[in-house]
Amino acid sequence: MRIYMHWPFCRSRCAYCDFNTRVAGEDRMKRYCSSLKEEMRAWSSWLPQEDRKVTSLYIGGGTPSIVSGEEMGALYREAGRRFHMMPGAEITVEINPATWSRHDFRAAASSGINRFSIGVQSLDHDLLRLLGRSHNAEEALRSVQYAQDAGDVVISVDLLYALPGESKGALLTTLDRVLELRPHHISLYALTLDEKTPLALMHERGVITLPDEDNAADQYFNALEKLGSEGYLQYEISNFSLSGYRCQHNLAYWRREQYLGLGAGAHSFLGGCRFHNVRSVLDYTKRMQRGLSPIEEWEDLTAEDGLFEEIMLGLRVCDGVPESLICKRGNGLDELEKRGLLRRTEDRVLLTSRGMLLSNLVLMELLPV
Amino acid sequence: MERNRIRNFCIIAHIDHGKSTLADRFLEITQTVPEQKMADQYLDRMELERERGITIKAQAVRMLYSAVEGNEYRLNLIDTPGHVDFSYEVSRSLEACEGAVLLVDAAQGVEAQTVGNAYLALEEGLFIIPVVNKIDLPSADPQGTVMEVADLLGVEPGDVLEVSAKTGEGVEELLRTVVEKTPPPEGDPEKTLRALVFDSDYDMYRGVVAFIRVMEGKVNKGMKALFMATGAASEVEEVGFFAPDMTSCEILESGDVGYIITGMKDVSMVKVGDTVTNAKDAAQMPLPGYHDPKPMVFAGVYPVDSDDFTNLRDALDRLKLNEAALTFAPETSRALGFGFRCGFLGLLHMEIVQERLEREYGLELVITAPNVVYEVETSQEGTVYVRNPSEMPEAGVIKEVREPYVQATILLPPNYMGGIMELVKERRGIYQDMTYLSGRRVEIRCRLPLAEIVMDFYDQLKSRSRGYASLDYEHIGFVPGNLVKLDILINKEPVDTFSCVVEKRRAHAYGKIMTQKLRQLIPRQLFDVPVQAAVGGRIVARETIKAKRKDVLAKCYGGDVTRKKKLLQRQKEGKKRMKMVGRVEIPQEAFIAALKVTREEIGK
Repeated sequence: MRIYMHWPFCRSRCAYCDFNTRVAGEDRMKRYCSSLKEEMRAWSSWLPQEDRKVTSLYIGGGTPSIVSGEEMGALYREAGRRFHMMPGAEITVEINPATWSRHDFRAAASSGINRFSIGVQSLDHDLLRLLGRSHNAEEALRSVQYAQDAGDVVISVDLLYALPGESKGALLTTLDRVLELRPHHISLYALTLDEKTPLALMHERGVITLPDEDNAADQYFNALEKLGSEGYLQYEISNFSLSGYRCQHNLAYWRREQYLGLGAGAHSFLGGCRFHNVRSVLDYTKRMQRGLSPIEEWEDLTAEDGLFEEIMLGLRVCDGVPESLICKRGNGLDELEKRGLLRRTEDRVLLTSRGMLLSNLVLMELLPV
Repeated sequence: MERNRIRNFCIIAHIDHGKSTLADRFLEITQTVPEQKMADQYLDRMELERERGITIKAQAVRMLYSAVEGNEYRLNLIDTPGHVDFSYEVSRSLEACEGAVLLVDAAQGVEAQTVGNAYLALEEGLFIIPVVNKIDLPSADPQGTVMEVADLLGVEPGDVLEVSAKTGEGVEELLRTVVEKTPPPEGDPEKTLRALVFDSDYDMYRGVVAFIRVMEGKVNKGMKALFMATGAASEVEEVGFFAPDMTSCEILESGDVGYIITGMKDVSMVKVGDTVTNAKDAAQMPLPGYHDPKPMVFAGVYPVDSDDFTNLRDALDRLKLNEAALTFAPETSRALGFGFRCGFLGLLHMEIVQERLEREYGLELVITAPNVVYEVETSQEGTVYVRNPSEMPEAGVIKEVREPYVQATILLPPNYMGGIMELVKERRGIYQDMTYLSGRRVEIRCRLPLAEIVMDFYDQLKSRSRGYASLDYEHIGFVPGNLVKLDILINKEPVDTFSCVVEKRRAHAYGKIMTQKLRQLIPRQLFDVPVQAAVGGRIVARETIKAKRKDVLAKCYGGDVTRKKKLLQRQKEGKKRMKMVGRVEIPQEAFIAALKVTREEIGK
């Protein structure tokens, strides 16, 4: 089993963020924390023994690191009491720079948390400010170093590219500095403007301009090359790692393995069914306090849906999907191969680098809708 | 009522010179409309007319007026459209009158169309009462305008009346003058019926309403009426007049203006300009002057939603009833699907038809760039008329292409002469002569290709004269031109919707604008897409839409797969709505945007 735990609180909200998060005080976080513990207890009593064996746990947000390393450690230990953490299980916490001290990282690591995913995003002061990040470049790099000092842990760094006004070389410049620290894992995401976020409004009003498609594509391909030459292997559209450090938890999503989501708005995929909890923190804590189920909505998947998902998710990963899945979808395959978007190995179909950046168009051809 | 107490008259005026306001004062003074019902500008019935402040459909209203000497007169005010697009309708409504009030704005002075219509009225033998309006305006120059009007008509300045339709000043005197000076109608009421259809309307429940002026004889309920041009015959169910609402009466006699309802549902059977006679005792000859108005400007009209095709056809059928000049024939476009090639009198007519279709029938439409009709001499089929550029014969069989020309009259203050002369030259105009009407107004006469007017000549004329110049024109026939068909090819396939006929030396410039525009509008595809402009087989402009490089969803946050699926499904649905040109997917919005630019940018 994989467990995702959502921490829907931040110190302040970033200008591009439309995730389920809010700024809240100590009391609310404490109540939320007890609700999480209650949800863990409930699930552990329902799930069969076999499904309580956990191979990865991911605490994401929001900003889990606005609480101390000790508190995070305590939350994880609670999970350890309710579920059976398998040897070698990957335990990740998302960290915002400038939240945790060296001490926090150590405290978290000593509780058993063994992977830190740090949201560096950019090393450009002006852009960080524009994005509404509450840290500067130095603080971001320092966080990576603190995490490294915490012992035998895996470090991942999140970076954004195609940011407002960015030049073609921006991502490479950032990468140069990040790679000096040799994190085990790097994620690269192009900035997307989600409706109604402050950044999207600024864009609508012409206050900021985004780099065009060619700029974004150039940045991405230059980064692929750079990371490859530094020993980072691409294993998914946006994810790169030194050998042996791929993120097991995220791979499980793409491989359609089952996972349990805990907390407000968390998504689960269990027994062939997708469902998610209520988004509102208030509703979630209320329901937990009254002993009600926090689940808001179920989606039963048909065989067709399953196939859709398998292709949509599987193609994101570098080893692709079995050709047998796709053959059912007609003759679009040859065309996509001819255009250099797909490659075929003996029995698998996978995206080329060009195809990865155009995966929506590829999926459009292959997906049953 | 005795015929010598009837006065049939109209008001000739340029847009905004105050015709509708003057009509309102007439209705008030004659107490035709009760005061509480008096909406401003009563005669402009259609919502669209009211909004635009122009009269599209001719109306006719009967007013009773007690003159000073105690006699009561029946005044029939026939409203006429003011725009050059509707000159045929103007001529039909003039035909129904004996007198005309020529109304000129004291601040604006005489405009080209006013001159055109005034001469038309003189030719029809109407008695003209010149009137200068808006004398209450601070910017008015009544003296100067009176002189101009007097010069124009060759009358004494003292014969020109001065009024303010807004305040009512001088309007009573004007009505007295109408009664005194307008000749009473002639025509023998004992003769066989001959009545002119000068307009028509459609009533949902009762069918076609024909607006008529009885020239000879009489018409009453129960009579079998024959429409001579179309041959349609039907019993008259109702006879009446407008006061200004429809009011039924026993009989209409020679000299009267009113309407008849025959229960006929087929709008095409009642045409403006036709003669109504008694089917049982038919007149030998129809009244002179009937012809089918000839549309000169054509455009493709397509429903945005292809399911609306039948609705569009029904709407056009209905509209045709009181848009006599509108023509339409089905056509298909690979980009826009099924639609109609519509013929219009001019651009304003086109805009009005579009607005009425959208407003009154709730249709969402795409209109292609308008073009004129071309007369093409071919070596194989003789003379053919091309209403859609994509139907232009192969270059090899064309002997000559002729395009419609107009005789244009432009009136403007002398200080804008230079700029306007230049414009005329740029737009292939042939300058003829120039006359000073007064110290502040010059008349330029020239010949122009109608295609230039369809393009943006009028907009340019207005902008280069700060709105002071005015234009009038009449068709003078086809003139040979150095014209070629320009095709636009997307990924090597011609797209009919963008084909056009242009002057040869402008083909390159036009092709460049179109290809550049399309490059910006068409989304990038999986492969490079060439966009080319070609004359015959020769490419005159080319752009390339670079292959798409990035279209990927961001991270799948916290395992929310459902959201990702929905985004992809939405994108796929959008893709289904795309129009395919070969293997290129083009959103319909791109087509619409490209069609919009053609007119705006090509003239430059």
